[in-house]
Amino acid sequence: MTDLETVANIAGVSAAVLGDLEGTFLGAVRTGDGETIAAEMGFVGSSFLDIGALLGLGTLGSFSLSGRARSCLLVVRPQSLITALISPPQSLGPVERAIDTAFQEWT
Amino acid sequence: MDTILQGLLDMAGVNAAVLFDGSGRLLAHRGKSVYDRALCEQVGGPLARAIDSLQLQHDDWESATAQFADGTLLLRRVDTASAGPCVLALVADSTLNPAFATVAIRVSSNKLKRALDGGGASSSVGSTGQASALGSLPSYPAAAPAGPGGSQVGHPAAASRPVLASSGLSWSRTGGGGVTAADQPSANYLTACARELARHVGPMSKIFVEEAVRRVCPDLPFSLAASRALADELAARIDDEDDRQAFLVALKKSGGK
Repeated sequence: MTDLETVANIAGVSAAVLGDLEGTFLGAVRTGDGETIAAEMGFVGSSFLDIGALLGLGTLGSFSLSGRARSCLLVVRPQSLITALISPPQSLGPVERAIDTAFQEWT
Repeated sequence: MDTILQGLLDMAGVNAAVLFDGSGRLLAHRGKSVYDRALCEQVGGPLARAIDSLQLQHDDWESATAQFADGTLLLRRVDTASAGPCVLALVADSTLNPAFATVAIRVSSNKLKRALDGGGASSSVGSTGQASALGSLPSYPAAAPAGPGGSQVGHPAAASRPVLASSGLSWSRTGGGGVTAADQPSANYLTACARELARHVGPMSKIFVEEAVRRVCPDLPFSLAASRALADELAARIDDEDDRQAFLVALKKSGGK
C-alpha cells in the first residue's frame, strides 16, 4: 500500500492528495480537485518552511488547519507532501495520531 | 493588547506572541530573547501569503498549527470589525503544553477581538479598516468603497449604497485596495474564477483574478455583466488551448455570461 493510500484509509480522512513542495500533483484519492490542492499545499508548505527558517524552528514536519466545516492536515515527507482532508473537523486529533503511528511504521 | 500578549508569553514554552493584520503587518508583539519585533515583522509577509493560498479551499479556517523539528507555530484567526481579519501567532518550543496553549490562544483571541473592536486599541492598528489578505469576515458580508484610494471597509456601517458584497478577494497587498462585487452572485462568480483558474496556474490565481477585475471594471464594483470580459482576460493566462476552453466552460456553468 502506498503512503497516499495509507493516509486515505485512515478513519476521518475524506480525501488525500500527494504532491511536492513545488506544487506538483502526484496523485489523489477521493477528490477530483487534487491538482488545485497540491498546488495550494505546495505553496503553503514552502511558505511555512521559510517561516520556520526565519524563526529558527527547523524543518517543517506537519501543518494542520481547522475550520468550521472541515480540517486539513499536511504531512511533509522527504520527497513529497501528503494532504489529508478531514471531515468532520473534530477528527483532526485522531487522524494526526493515526498518521504519526503510520509514520513510525514507515521509518 | 500588550497585557494580553504578555499573558501568552508567560506560558511555559512560549517564546513570542504576535498579532498580525490581514496584510501581514505586525500590530502588537511580545517576545523573548531573539524574537524581537524586527524578526517577527519579517514573518508577516510569508504568513499572509500562505494564508491567502489556504483560503482558496479553507475560507472558514479558525486555527492552524505548524509543527517544526525544534518548535511549534500556533495560529488563531481573530476576526475584528475595526482591523479586519487578523492572526494571532504563538512561537513555542518543545516544552509547550499543546492543550493549555489551545485554550489560552482561544481566550486571548477573544480578548484581542474585544480590545480591537472596543476602540481603545485602534490607534495602534492604524487607519486600516480595509479588507485584508487573511480572509473575509463571514459576519460582515457587506463592504463599500471608502474613498478615492479605493480601499474597502469591511464593516456593516460602511455598507450603505450601493450594497456591495465582499468577494473574499480583497487583498490589500496587491496594491491600492481590494476588489468589490456588486452583489452576491457576482462575488460567487469571482470565487469560482479563482478556484477554476487555480487548476491551471496554481495559488496565484486569486491575484490574477483581482488584477483582471481591476482591468475590466476599473471604477465600478464587479458585476456579472462583465463576466465574459473577465473570463477572457483570465483565459489568456492559460497556455494550453484545451485547458483554456475547459476553463471557459466551467465559468459558464458558474453563472458567467
